[in-house]
Amino acid sequence: MYFKNIFLCTFIVFISLVESAREDRPKNLEQKVQQLNDLYQNKFVVRFNGPKFKEFVKSPPRNYSVIIMFTAMASHRQCSICGHASDEFIIVANSYRYSHRLMESPLYFGIVDFDEGSDIFQMLRINTAPVFMHFPAKGKPKPLDTMDIQRVGFASEQISKWIQERTDVQIRIFRPPNYSSTLALSILFAICSSFLYVRRNNMEMIFNKNLWGIGAVLFCLTMISGQMWNHIRGPPLMHRNQQGVITYIHNSSQGQFIFETYIIIVLTIDLILVFGVVIMTDSYTKKTDSKTRKIMTVGGLALIVFLFSVILSIFKSKAHGYPYSFLIK
Amino acid sequence: MKTLLTNPAGWKSLITFAILFLAWVSGFSARLFAVIRFESIIHEFDPWFNYRATAYMVQHGFYNFLNWFDERAWYPLGRIVGGTVYPGLMLTSGAIHHVLHALNIPVHIRDICVFLAPIFSGMTAISTYFLTKELWSPGAGLFACCFIAIVPGYISRSVAGSYDNEGIAIFALQFTYYLWVKSVKTGSVFWSVLTALSYFYMVSAWGGYVFIINLIPLHVFLLLIMGRYSYRLFTSYTVFYILGLVLSMQIPFVGFQPIRTSEHMAASGVFALVMAAGAFNYIQTRITKAEFKFIFIFATLVTSGIVLLAVVGLTWAGVIAPWSGRFYSLWDTTYAKIHIPIIASVSEHQPTTWFSFFFDLHILVCVFPAGLWYCIQEYNDERLFVVLYALSAVYFAGVMVRLMLTLTPAVCILGGIAFSKIFENYLKEETPPVINNSTKLIEDKQSVKDKTPSKSSQTAAGKSKKKPPTVVSTNGDCSNGEGVGSNIRSIVTISMLLVLMMFVVHCTWVTSNAYSSPSIVLASFSSDGSRQILDDFREAYYWLSQNTDNDARIMSWWDYGYQIAGMANRTTLVDNNTWNNSHIALVGKAMSSTEPKAYEIMTSLDVDYVLVIFGGVIGYSGDDINKFLWMVRIAEGEHPKEIRESDYFTDRGEFRIDSGGSQTMLNCLMYKLSYYRFGDLKLDFRTPAGFDRTRNAVIGNQNFDLTYLEEAYTTEHWLVRIYRVKKPDEFNRPRIPVSERKIRNPGASAVSKKSARKKKGTIYGKPVVVKGKKPKSTSTYTSASGML
Repeated sequence: MYFKNIFLCTFIVFISLVESAREDRPKNLEQKVQQLNDLYQNKFVVRFNGPKFKEFVKSPPRNYSVIIMFTAMASHRQCSICGHASDEFIIVANSYRYSHRLMESPLYFGIVDFDEGSDIFQMLRINTAPVFMHFPAKGKPKPLDTMDIQRVGFASEQISKWIQERTDVQIRIFRPPNYSSTLALSILFAICSSFLYVRRNNMEMIFNKNLWGIGAVLFCLTMISGQMWNHIRGPPLMHRNQQGVITYIHNSSQGQFIFETYIIIVLTIDLILVFGVVIMTDSYTKKTDSKTRKIMTVGGLALIVFLFSVILSIFKSKAHGYPYSFLIK
Repeated sequence: MKTLLTNPAGWKSLITFAILFLAWVSGFSARLFAVIRFESIIHEFDPWFNYRATAYMVQHGFYNFLNWFDERAWYPLGRIVGGTVYPGLMLTSGAIHHVLHALNIPVHIRDICVFLAPIFSGMTAISTYFLTKELWSPGAGLFACCFIAIVPGYISRSVAGSYDNEGIAIFALQFTYYLWVKSVKTGSVFWSVLTALSYFYMVSAWGGYVFIINLIPLHVFLLLIMGRYSYRLFTSYTVFYILGLVLSMQIPFVGFQPIRTSEHMAASGVFALVMAAGAFNYIQTRITKAEFKFIFIFATLVTSGIVLLAVVGLTWAGVIAPWSGRFYSLWDTTYAKIHIPIIASVSEHQPTTWFSFFFDLHILVCVFPAGLWYCIQEYNDERLFVVLYALSAVYFAGVMVRLMLTLTPAVCILGGIAFSKIFENYLKEETPPVINNSTKLIEDKQSVKDKTPSKSSQTAAGKSKKKPPTVVSTNGDCSNGEGVGSNIRSIVTISMLLVLMMFVVHCTWVTSNAYSSPSIVLASFSSDGSRQILDDFREAYYWLSQNTDNDARIMSWWDYGYQIAGMANRTTLVDNNTWNNSHIALVGKAMSSTEPKAYEIMTSLDVDYVLVIFGGVIGYSGDDINKFLWMVRIAEGEHPKEIRESDYFTDRGEFRIDSGGSQTMLNCLMYKLSYYRFGDLKLDFRTPAGFDRTRNAVIGNQNFDLTYLEEAYTTEHWLVRIYRVKKPDEFNRPRIPVSERKIRNPGASAVSKKSARKKKGTIYGKPVVVKGKKPKSTSTYTSASGML
């Protein structure tokens, strides 16, 4: 409390100082809104620096609230998530502008960059970036006016939900359509079709059973190795604990690491290949002499047994209390 | 006799029959763990509803069942049961019950329900045999049959007592596919009519019929693209589609969906395509090539344009419903997480880790791509079908754990093909056998191709450890022959058999440990290995059925709705049929608000009792506090103003129940109902009082009283706690324990109550001097009443 009081006092003193400094050009509400709208006209987001921030966001006569992202976009600050956060924030701001008319808008979006307004950062005692804050039309921001990006993240849907909680303004998010996947698909399609066009006299490869077979088997492998789980849950590549020991295999049966699924893919591919080889040695390679066939069969069999026991032992390490193992503990 | 013994065909069918029979028996007995360990009891949640519905149907007849309006569910809305269930399951067990009773075999309907899924698993095994036989060879069929009889991925849904749609639906699925393959092969109307009938049974049994009605058109479409159009295909698909469409619309729950929803549109589109292909085929015989080319291109463009426009237009106009959320979440994998928390909250709708694949399928998961490879290498019409089946099923299984069930049959078929191929190669003799003293051995050599795999699969199915040695010795004999690498052959065979033995052992272990828990009866093992049964659920439900009014309304989280209705026969507010999200959200809101606010909701919903599951005493992790965040989330989805998920976390974003937890959390109804009087309980001398074993923490809010509810019943291990909601005239007069009761008028208290009634003339509150005592009592009393 004590600390807060001091902060408040300094704050009031500061504000009054600013106010007295600007005494020569008094601003009423209409003028201020007009100016803000002028700033707002060209872009969807206002960039505030120190004085502008004080004028439009801090000083009292306001009938609008401001959502501000505090960020550090300069490259030497090396804030990689600031870029993502800023993209999401601008999506929200744009969506707002598309659905609400400017003049009757009770809400403005602003950005304060650390390199343009470090004094604001100091004033609000912000020492991390990005931070999303809501400055209500009346009164000071409360703790809930700072968005908890640690917990909910900064996806634009979350930002709009938070804004709705704080200001009752509903913003429907219009994401600009993501062309990258479409582009990738069309490029792939173009490559395929051009390839087909070049090979148009020889369409054998479409009817190539090996190609389709490999494709189908690979698809099965991606699925059974849990790539879909990775896609939906986004687990880390691997885990490094406090001692710096890297774990590749997730300890419990409920989770997995990306690296672990790659290990499984490789093991299973090998297993299937060898399995296929063992099957084929007898029926398909009649031409080779019996010695080669023998070696291939025995080697293949040994590999099958080995690979299978490796998979089984990984499985055992994840399933606590699983009693069986094969060759390898 | 002699002819019988030496006739290979006779032996062949005898062995086939024996193996199929053994597969059925072993599959049946592997599913009985739960019955043997506990008792013949219905498991889990959904089966309880199915059981209740079946019992209703048996009691009141089929037509009353179809018209059944269940006023005991979804109070005050009720539920039209007849129009919102797939009746195939109830009809099947009702029919069995009817037949048995007609034969004067008095079996209780519960026992039929309990054993229905294991019996049908045997039929699944046999239809898988027939399907694989059509696709590849009888040997592969026997392998596939034995695999599916014991594979955990299927056992998970078909243990005795798990009386659910999937138990019979997988049989219907496999049988439909068998008949479909057969009808594509023969092109006869007979087989396609049978396919449609089997499809009808599937539609009546499970919502997963959508898989069939999309997979078969996909198969037809692929065949058309590959230029494999034939009259066989035309006949089988058109007959199947028309009959199947008409039949499937006879199920009340399905109704007009087959012509009105997007899930079914692919089938009708392919129907039009097949018609067009047939027309072009006919035209082709009548006109020149150049003309045909022109007509073909023109007609294709025009019709595809018209069809596309029509579908888009109808969807836009609302005639065709767009994809429902559950299906949509299969394609856009992040959809459910954002939009439908109630779908995302169910654990079986989560994506699948590789661990689960291996857990449910073991060696088959590594081997089935080899079978897939061979099906593509030596493809024909029907093998393309199994390729499509495997590829689509493996995708769905990757997205949702629950759909592992549809993948399992495909994996068994392909795994059977791979294994049969390997044994075919390595059991084959290069040189004719020299001497054989056992008749079985003669058989093995005479028709190697079919019999030898079947023999080894018998080992897989029969789970007998005696059998590998016999096979081994057989091969040992073979190795005496002069064939090149016959030693190696037997080594390969033996190691493969070892791997298969591991598969059998794994399946049995998984079935016994993971899938055979009824989950309404829990078992715990003490340090000396003795077993202790925790029967708290049934204790609580029995208490409800005996001690509450017949029309008492019980509020609980939706997981327990079916069980309360099934076992306690009381009215519930929400249950596992999660059709009304806002009603569930209302219950979630009541659970996550403070007591006074929850009381408002509870009175508006006429709640008499509240039931919570609390696992803190025995360390049961599936209790309501662990599910609580989902209640908050679902409530927040409907009431974002009042309930905010962030309020239930600490500042650091943790979900805690100890003193560091957030105040909203420590004062919400669910917390109070779970931990009421728990702070006084000392579980053992090592832990402090109020120590929650599930979350390993001492609870934060310990000494609180309930104003609007009172504890009605708590089971032996505190697993179920039931509270009575007080009537409005009760809670503002708190009950004072007898020891603390201080009567203001000692003179009146000297007289017993009975006689007090007679003494009508006494003045109430007549001032009397209390001897030797300061009138402290009055002050406590007034303060107590002043509180309210």
